[in-house]
Amino acid sequence: MEKIGEGVEHLLHELSVLTLSGHEVHAGEFVLTNYMFFLLIALVVTFLFFMIGVRKVSLVPESRLGGAIETGVEFVRDSLCIETMGPEGRKYVPFVGTIFFFVLFNNLIGLIPGSKPGTGTMGTTVTWAVVVFIVYNAIGIKRHGVWGYAKSFWPKGVPGPIAAVVALLEVVSHLVRPLTLSVRLYANMYAGHVVLGIFSILGALLLEASGVMKVIAVLPVMLQIVLYALEVFVAVIQAYIFAILTSVYIGGAIHTH
Amino acid sequence: MEALIPKAPEILVSLVSFLVLLVVLGKFAFPPVMRMLDERAEKIRESLEKAEETRVEAERLLEEYKQQMAEARTEASSIIEQGRKVAENMKAEIVAQAREEADAEKRKAIEAIQSEKTAAMAELQGQVAELSVAVAGKIIGSSLEAKDHEALIERYLAEVGSMNGN
Repeated sequence: MEKIGEGVEHLLHELSVLTLSGHEVHAGEFVLTNYMFFLLIALVVTFLFFMIGVRKVSLVPESRLGGAIETGVEFVRDSLCIETMGPEGRKYVPFVGTIFFFVLFNNLIGLIPGSKPGTGTMGTTVTWAVVVFIVYNAIGIKRHGVWGYAKSFWPKGVPGPIAAVVALLEVVSHLVRPLTLSVRLYANMYAGHVVLGIFSILGALLLEASGVMKVIAVLPVMLQIVLYALEVFVAVIQAYIFAILTSVYIGGAIHTH
Repeated sequence: MEALIPKAPEILVSLVSFLVLLVVLGKFAFPPVMRMLDERAEKIRESLEKAEETRVEAERLLEEYKQQMAEARTEASSIIEQGRKVAENMKAEIVAQAREEADAEKRKAIEAIQSEKTAAMAELQGQVAELSVAVAGKIIGSSLEAKDHEALIERYLAEVGSMNGN
């Protein structure tokens, strides 16, 4: 039991934001953290995936990578942008697409044993969520003007005092969006790694133990495989959720009512 | 709780990474792929339209050929019909002409026979008159006066002539 406690403590320390040399980041210290190292790897992978793939995209599909890029872009264009914003959603495909693919590659790269997802830290998710917040509000203001956009928070056909309360709730719900968006992604990635880590610790300790315990180790190892598959699913789903919420927010700013 | 506070270096790295990727992909990845997808959609739409046009054209041509075929067939049968009519007319004409010619031949023959007969009759009458005079002279002798002679011959000739009229 003691060993498990030690293991978990070690795991949580590993999963916290550290410098590459393994010590904690002090306030005001400017270093490359463990999460940022993998974020940069994801950046390179995403970049290469597109730069190599785009050359293989042709009118008559001939390459698998090109086909994958086409499918991905088509998905972002149709299912994320046009679906939530209407035909003018095409304009926002690069923004939503960059978010979707960057989050997706970060999530997936984090699943390679020994690595971490660049999205598994609040530093990343809050930053991107705030970018989304700024972008969708800017789109709303650009389209309707500051006053027109502000007015859209005020409900129509509702008597004064109630309208004021609704408007306040509306503003609060908008302000909370960067937080919900960032915590949802961060927590899913972080928690997934904690769960996978704990089952690895359990499996490893049981294998180290003697006799019958060795046989029982089969259970956490089997579960580990199932959980790993689940985490792959979560990685894709969370990228999708982050991107579709971005699209929905932009769509809401375009079509205020 | 401490993990929920974003670290400054992470904010910077993730922000710059995102912006760099946004600019690069927004310039070199998404636009060309979307352009290609639009082009492909357009090409497919065009091809389908063209195929439809070709199909309609082919159907129209087929219809036209069928009609021409039917017309040709009708024309052919009318030509045959006409030919048959011409042949029949010709046949009737030939037969009629042949009949006419035969009739003419026959009529001519009859006429010839008739004139031969008349000539023969006239000759016979002459001979009979002479013979009768000779016979009568032999029987009666030369007692008859020339005036009586003539009267007798006249009467006899009239008798023979009426006999011949039958």
